[in-house]
Amino acid sequence: MKSPSGKGDRAGRGAPAARKKVGEPAARGRRGTESARYAHYIREKTNQLLQVMGTEPLRPEEFDDRELLNLDPIGIIAGSLEQVFEYLNETIANLSEARDEMQAIFDATGVGISIIDQDFSIVKCNEKQRELLVDKQLADVSGRFCYEVYCLKNGPGLDCPAVDTFATGRPVVVNEVRKKGKYFQLVTTPFARDAAGRVTRVIEVALDITARKKAEEEERRQRGYYLAEKSKLASVLQSLSEGLLVTDSRNRIISVNGAALQILDLSQKQVREQRIEELFLDCPAEAKIMFDGTAPHAFQNVEIPFRGENRDLLLTVNSTPLTDVRGTVTGRVFTFRDITEEKRRQEVYHRTEKLAAVGQLSAGIAHELNTPLGSILGYARLLLKGDNLLAEQKERLAIIAEQAKKSGGIIRELLDFSRLSTQAPSRGASCDLNQVVTEAIRILRAEFDKQEIAVTFALSPLSPVAADPKRLEQVVVNMLLNSAQAIGSGGEVEIATLLQSDEVQVRISDSGPGIPVENLSRIFDPFFTTKPAGKGTGLGLSICAGIISDYGGAIDARNSPGGGAVFTITLPLPGEAHAG
Amino acid sequence: MVDVQKIELDILGQVCPACLLVVLREMNTHRKRLKSGEAQLVIKTDHRDTTRTIPESARKMGYDVEVRNLEGYYEITIGQR
Repeated sequence: MKSPSGKGDRAGRGAPAARKKVGEPAARGRRGTESARYAHYIREKTNQLLQVMGTEPLRPEEFDDRELLNLDPIGIIAGSLEQVFEYLNETIANLSEARDEMQAIFDATGVGISIIDQDFSIVKCNEKQRELLVDKQLADVSGRFCYEVYCLKNGPGLDCPAVDTFATGRPVVVNEVRKKGKYFQLVTTPFARDAAGRVTRVIEVALDITARKKAEEEERRQRGYYLAEKSKLASVLQSLSEGLLVTDSRNRIISVNGAALQILDLSQKQVREQRIEELFLDCPAEAKIMFDGTAPHAFQNVEIPFRGENRDLLLTVNSTPLTDVRGTVTGRVFTFRDITEEKRRQEVYHRTEKLAAVGQLSAGIAHELNTPLGSILGYARLLLKGDNLLAEQKERLAIIAEQAKKSGGIIRELLDFSRLSTQAPSRGASCDLNQVVTEAIRILRAEFDKQEIAVTFALSPLSPVAADPKRLEQVVVNMLLNSAQAIGSGGEVEIATLLQSDEVQVRISDSGPGIPVENLSRIFDPFFTTKPAGKGTGLGLSICAGIISDYGGAIDARNSPGGGAVFTITLPLPGEAHAG
Repeated sequence: MVDVQKIELDILGQVCPACLLVVLREMNTHRKRLKSGEAQLVIKTDHRDTTRTIPESARKMGYDVEVRNLEGYYEITIGQR
C-alpha cells in the first residue's frame, strides 16, 4: 500500500503498534499518554468531519496516530469545507441574482401570471396580474382564493382552466373568458406535482385581449355601418331621376344607375367597364375635357349630344371629381339629364316669339305699303292704256307696273306671315298626311321634271292628324321647293312618312349639298336666306315652322351622314299635342 | 487553447476514507489552479467507494468531476470545464 501522501512511501497498516517501544521513561510515558489522547481526540473529530463530508470513519489500520497528526486531517477538511462554503456562497449569490431576474421578468411581462395551488388559493401573482384583476385596496393576495380575487365568484367557474389542469394534469387553453368587464385568454400549465404525480400547483397565464376584442367589435360595428350606408347610397342613386355614371381614374365606368341606363337606352353590360369618352363619341372637343379622369375641376350644365341606337339625345351633364382621403382624384361622378325635348320646346317657343314680333312688324309695314303700292300699280296700268305714249315710255311704265306687282307679292307674303303669327290655328280639321304629300308632289311634278329631280316615296299607313290640309300642303310644297332649289339640277328627293306611337313624321331627304353647320340653327329664322338679294324673302321656312308649331309639332333640320339635308316634320296625334 | 496542467495522484491500493483525505489535501494545495481551470487533478484509484465519495465532495466544492473506468483501476478527473 502507498503512503497517504501518495508519494509511494509505504506505511504499514499495523504501524502504530509496530512503532511503539517498550520501557520508555515515565515523562515520555506521560507525554505519550497525552499524545495518544490528543490523537484519539483528533481521530474522533476527523471521523465526525468525514461523516459531514459523507464518508465513513477512519479505520484504525489506515493511519497510526503519528501519521494522522502529521496528515492534519482537520486542517484538510477545514480547507475543503472552506471551499464548500465558498462554492455555496457563490451558488447562493447566483441563485439570489437569478431569483431577482426571474422576479423582474415575472413582473415585467405583459401577461398576468399566477401560481395557484390545488385548493385554488393564490400562491403568488405578478404585477401585471395584480394590475389586471386585483382590487387596488388588496395589499396581499397570497393565500386568498383565486376565484374570489380574480372572478368575484364563490367557487371555481365552469370556464376555469385550472380546474381541468388539476383534474387532467395537462395544459389547458381558454380563448375567451370575461372577468371584471375585461376579456382574457387563459392558459394553465401544471407547475408542481406530489409524489403520486398529481398536480399540486398550476401556473395560470392571463393575456388581456380586451383591446383586441373591442377593436374587433368596433370593426364589426363600422363594417355594419359602412354596409348600411352603402346600401342606403345605392338606393338613393338608383332612385335618382337623373342619370349617374361613376368612372375610375382610367375613365372606365365602374358604376351606373337605372336612370342612366333608361335615358341612354343601354344595358348595364354595354356601359360597365367602357371608357366614358367612347360612350359619348359625338361630344364636341371643348366638352371632352370633362372626361379627363384626373382633372380636378367640376363642370356644370355642359350640353353634349348622345347618338343612341334609336334616337339622338341632347344631354346636360354635371361632372365632379371623386377624391380619396388624401385628396387625390380617383375618378369622376357624372350626372345628366335628357334635355332633348326641353330644348326643342325652347326653340319652338323662341321661334314663335320671334315670329310673332316679326309678324306684327310685317303687318304694320305691309298695311302701310299696300295702299300706295296699289295706287302706283293702278296709275301705271291706267297710263299704259293711253295711246299717245312713246314706245320707250310704255316700256318704262310696264317696268313700274311689274315691279309694283312684285312688291305686292312680297306684301302678300308678309301679310300671310303676319296672319300666321297672330292668328290662332284651326284645329278642328282632320288631315291625312299621305294625301297631303301626294298632292304636293302632284303640284310640283312639272318643276321636278324640269330640274331632272327624281322623287321617291315611302309612305306608311298613318293616323289622321288634327290640322288644316291646305296649310300642311303649303308646308310640304314649300319644303320640297326648298330641296329642289338646294339640288339645282339633277338629283333625288325622298319623301317618307312614318307613324310613331304618339306622333306622325314626314321626312324629306335630298341629295343637295346639305346645310352649312353654322346655318343649321338659323334656317327657320324669318328673313334668313342664303339666296342672292332679291331672289328670296327668307320667310318660306319660317312660315312652315310657324304653321307646324301652331299644330304642336316641330321641324328638325340636319345633315345626313351620307350627304344632303334631311327635314323631319313631326306632328302629334290628336290628344298628344305639346303644350309649347 | 491553453494547455491544462495535469496533476497526477496515484492512490492505488488505498481505501476510504484515507483516500478522500489525501485527495482533499491535494485539492486544497492546488485550489487556485484547479478553480481557475489552469490545472486538473487526475486520480488513479482501485477502491470503488472513492468513485462515489470523491466526486460527491468535489462537486460540493464546485468542481466538475469525471470518472472513467479503465483497465484495473478508475481515473477520476477534477477541475473546471
